[in-house]
Amino acid sequence: MNASAWHMLLEGALTTVWISAVSIAIGVVAGLVIALIRLARIPIVDQLLVLYISVARATPLVTLALFIFLSAPDLGLDLNRSVAGILALTLNTTAFNAEIWRSAFRNFSREQSEAAMATGMTPWITFRRIMLPQMVITSLPGLVNEMSFLIKGSPAIAVIGIVDLTRVTNRISAVTYEPLPPILVAGALYMAIIGCLVWLQRLAERRANRLAM
Amino acid sequence: MSEANMSERAAVSIRHLSKSFDDVEVLRDVELEVKTGEVVTIIGSSGSGKSTLLRCINWLEKPDRGSIHIAGQRIGVHEDGRPMPVRELAKVRAQTGMVFQGFNLWPHLNVLHNVTEAPIHVQGKSKREAEELATALLEKVGMSHKHDSYPNTLSGGQKQRVAIARALAMQPEVMLFDEPTSALDPELVGEVLAVIKDLSAEGYTMVMVTHEMAFARAVSDQVVFLEKGLIIERADPETFFTTPKTDRVRKFLENHDTPSPA
Repeated sequence: MNASAWHMLLEGALTTVWISAVSIAIGVVAGLVIALIRLARIPIVDQLLVLYISVARATPLVTLALFIFLSAPDLGLDLNRSVAGILALTLNTTAFNAEIWRSAFRNFSREQSEAAMATGMTPWITFRRIMLPQMVITSLPGLVNEMSFLIKGSPAIAVIGIVDLTRVTNRISAVTYEPLPPILVAGALYMAIIGCLVWLQRLAERRANRLAM
Repeated sequence: MSEANMSERAAVSIRHLSKSFDDVEVLRDVELEVKTGEVVTIIGSSGSGKSTLLRCINWLEKPDRGSIHIAGQRIGVHEDGRPMPVRELAKVRAQTGMVFQGFNLWPHLNVLHNVTEAPIHVQGKSKREAEELATALLEKVGMSHKHDSYPNTLSGGQKQRVAIARALAMQPEVMLFDEPTSALDPELVGEVLAVIKDLSAEGYTMVMVTHEMAFARAVSDQVVFLEKGLIIERADPETFFTTPKTDRVRKFLENHDTPSPA
């Protein structure tokens, strides 16, 4: 592989990382918001959210990406590839994250929040200061798992023309006729990215030990 | 004296309080007045409604009927019957401090931060001010040496003492104790009772649900006996423990090793 191949690989890795990172950031927060809304059990809204979650969880990423990219013009939207890709990944991961957050809410001890309310905390302060920090720690294994699924599933967005870390190996081997070196490097890069997540998770586990009362 | 006037003077004033869970009436027309500086103990067998009564005082349980005033302020609903918005409810709640049977410390915060959390985020105290107060309170309950420990490393008695400091940190009008020693190993009960006894000596207003009869006799100004949601007897501790008026209380005390006078 020559310098330009390396350059292309790194650019592909960068594309994968930034598109995944944006999708993860939106997806984690949106999942939390959906879980919060579902706590209120608003009729119709709740059913719609359940429908969204089941559809998003049942749809392959490639299909979702294609659908969003191809249907956007019909809806009068002018989506560029990156936005369509992020939208597909986000819609997918949000649904899974919403379920992770929801189970964290369900398992949160009522005594803990009662103790907070008893000191005069409003429900919002109770959520922000008492519930959320603990929910983050207990949900992190599930969330990180979902993040690594997203990164490993992200090559699906190549279907709408985004040149990510996997797609770029194709382009390189189309020129060099040597498919193995770029794909090996890409594999190593994926492992490095996921490795960062695993490290984050280990950090969380150490803090989680404190929560075991 | 008018009713409103009396409510203003009392730390806690409970009128015509009733509460049902499904079909079971757990509180029936309960009336209770706790004066500032007074220690009131609520006694009764399990299922008599005593914990529910205590939890109604800070609106962790919503009563069906009746009114509760904390230092003259109505809690939970406005005088005209409108439900109280959450922020307002939280403000009145901050006038009460509660100590739970199961401690309910926040496991993600160390001992010091368990105590400073509400003063900082509810009262808006500065971090320094809150930490000075917390240090003094932890000193008072004998836990200052553990200020940077996490709750899961503490014994039950230590946890409960931290929980008492946490409740005191909001400088409440009244402290509510919900069976504070029931979840403790017998040898740890004493250290928690000693702290509560100190508080009573310092003039804190307290309402306490307990099964510790000797302790109730020693610290209470008023003992209330609850049976199936009704207050069937109330008296000063001497009268209550030596010459109860009802057979029910006599029987209850026989089963509970009536303490000899302290």
